[in-house]
Order: sequence, then C-alpha cells, then structure tokens
Amino acid sequence: MDRDPYAVALSSALTEIQTAYPDINHSFIFTQDNTIVSQDANIDQRTMNRIMESFEELKEKTKTIGDIQNFQINTKTGDFTLFAVKDMYIVFETSENADKNQIYAIRKVILPTILKVVDTIESSSDDLAENYLQPDEEITHKELTVDTLSGFFAGDSVQIDLETLIELVNSGDPNEDQDDILENVDHVRIETFRGDSTLCKVKEINDPNLKGKNLVRVPEKICRNLGIHKGDTVKVKALL
Amino acid sequence: MTENESTTDYEELQEKLLSIKEQEGLIGYILRSSKTASIDLKDPAKIIDYALLSSAVFDESQKLATVLDMEEIESIIVEGEEIKLLSMKINGYNLSVFMEKAVDHKQIFDSLT
Repeated sequence: MDRDPYAVALSSALTEIQTAYPDINHSFIFTQDNTIVSQDANIDQRTMNRIMESFEELKEKTKTIGDIQNFQINTKTGDFTLFAVKDMYIVFETSENADKNQIYAIRKVILPTILKVVDTIESSSDDLAENYLQPDEEITHKELTVDTLSGFFAGDSVQIDLETLIELVNSGDPNEDQDDILENVDHVRIETFRGDSTLCKVKEINDPNLKGKNLVRVPEKICRNLGIHKGDTVKVKALL
Repeated sequence: MTENESTTDYEELQEKLLSIKEQEGLIGYILRSSKTASIDLKDPAKIIDYALLSSAVFDESQKLATVLDMEEIESIIVEGEEIKLLSMKINGYNLSVFMEKAVDHKQIFDSLT
C-alpha cells in the first residue's frame, strides 16, 4: 500500500486542475496535523512554512467557533481560499482574473466527485478483501494504547515500538535490517473506534521506560483532533 | 482623514451596523480602530474569545497576503462548524461581523460597504 488514496487522488487532481486553470497560481494540500500531502513546485519551503505558521495560529483561535471549514481572503489582486475536505485542507491562491464560478465548480463539484469515486473504489476493494483475501493476507493493524506526547519537542510524529512496526510491515523477511524498516515506514494511520482517522509520521519510541508496553505515543494536538485521550485504544496501520 | 471625517465615517458605519444587527442569524460585531473599540455581541461571555479571534484573523490574513504578494485585503471569511465571521477594513476601522453559517455574508458585506 502506498499513500492514503484520498490524498493521492486529490493531489493528482490538483496538479491537473492547476494545468487547466492558469489563474490558479498556487495549490496545495495538508492534513489536519499539518503534514503536507501535495505542494506545487512554485512555492518554496520558506513560504510554505510561513503559510503553515499563520494557519496554525488561526486554527488555535478559531476553536471558539469550531474547526475551520472554510477560510477565504479576498484582495484586490486575487483570492486565497482554504477549505476542509475529509481530514485534509485544500488551498488555492488565485489571480484577480480567476473565474469565481469555475473555482466554485472545482470546489463544490469536481473535487467532491473525485472523492465520491475514491470512496466507491475503496469500498469495492474493502469488499474484495473481505470476500477473497485469506486472513493472513489481510492488511495488518495493531490495537495500541494511547500515551500523550506533550511539550515543546512533541513534534508531529507518533512514536511506536520498533517491534510493533516490524509486525505492522510484516515483510516476512527475518533478515531485513531494522534501519531499513524505519526508512520504509514513513507514515501510519491512527484510527479510533468511532471511525475518525488521520495520517501521521512515525518514529520509534525514544523513552526506554515506555518500550514494550504496547503503546502509541501521540502528540497532544493530534489527540485533540481525533478526540482521544491517554489510555484509549486505537487501531494503527502502517503506510509504506 | 480629518477628525470630523473620521467621526462621520464611524457614525455612518454604526448606523449601518444597527440596521443589520437585528437580522436573523446575526450574532454580533466587533468594530475597532487604533483608538476605540465597539463590541456588540449577543453572548457577552464570548467577548474575549471573539476579540482574540477577530484580531488573529486580521493579523494572520495580512501575513498570508504579504507572503503571497497579494495586495489590499477587501474581505476575509472564516467559517467554523456552526458560526462564520466576516472581517473587513472600512475607512481605517477593522470590522468583524459574527453570524450563523446560513446567513448570506455577501449580502452583509454589500450592506456595509
């Protein structure tokens, strides 16, 4: 399995849309835990970081009116539009000449249609897996207990035991180097039993006292987004 | 802008705000200049949160506009899960109008500009 199918579909769609609509100057996608899924080549990393910082600051203050669904800045020279789709945010920066109806159609018709198609494909492949895969061929997931990561160095990665990562990857190769596994597994999906889920970067648990306890250490802001707390059980799947 | 012009602008804006205030779904507004602030919200317990939000919306939007080389902000819309906020600069005043999501913010924008 490669990346989240929704992210792949949206990312490809945005690339094509930007080619077809030259009035879209920039477009990018990031997850609710600020992992950038897709970024156009015209935005340098410094600009991207400043955009993410501003959005993070705004997101913090908008808690009082609920999670941001839509954020739009209209200026004399163009518009900045950010909107939530599933557990992701999509951003467009358009020139003053952009046709607002076209942008509206992309947002309200094209992207939702793409998501609906991915939904259909996903549910078909779930049925296929349910009906035809042998139990040992099913995508591996582990149920782990949440431990919250807080403080300045919490970052945006979850931490789990290397042994758990190996089980999740389940390559079947006993000689595989542990460093290779860590290099290959860059993301995991954390899923609650209510069905909420998010993609997170993953690292090995760095506190020796917490190893071997079947834990997933999750940064506080991801816990807040998923509505989970220390001691809760979540499903963890590896994304290679 | 002279002091008289500024007072007239402020009074005109206050009149416009009074005219939309009772509209269904309107939650209130925060009108701020460098010297004065006028707040009218249905739920006074929200004043601090909404004032911080209004201020962050102006600050962060300006930063984003600068980073992306966009000039002169005309309006900002922030939609949460239940409430939305329309912010704009009018004659040197920062105005944020809070409303329920169903309210047509374009109509509010047109009424105020």
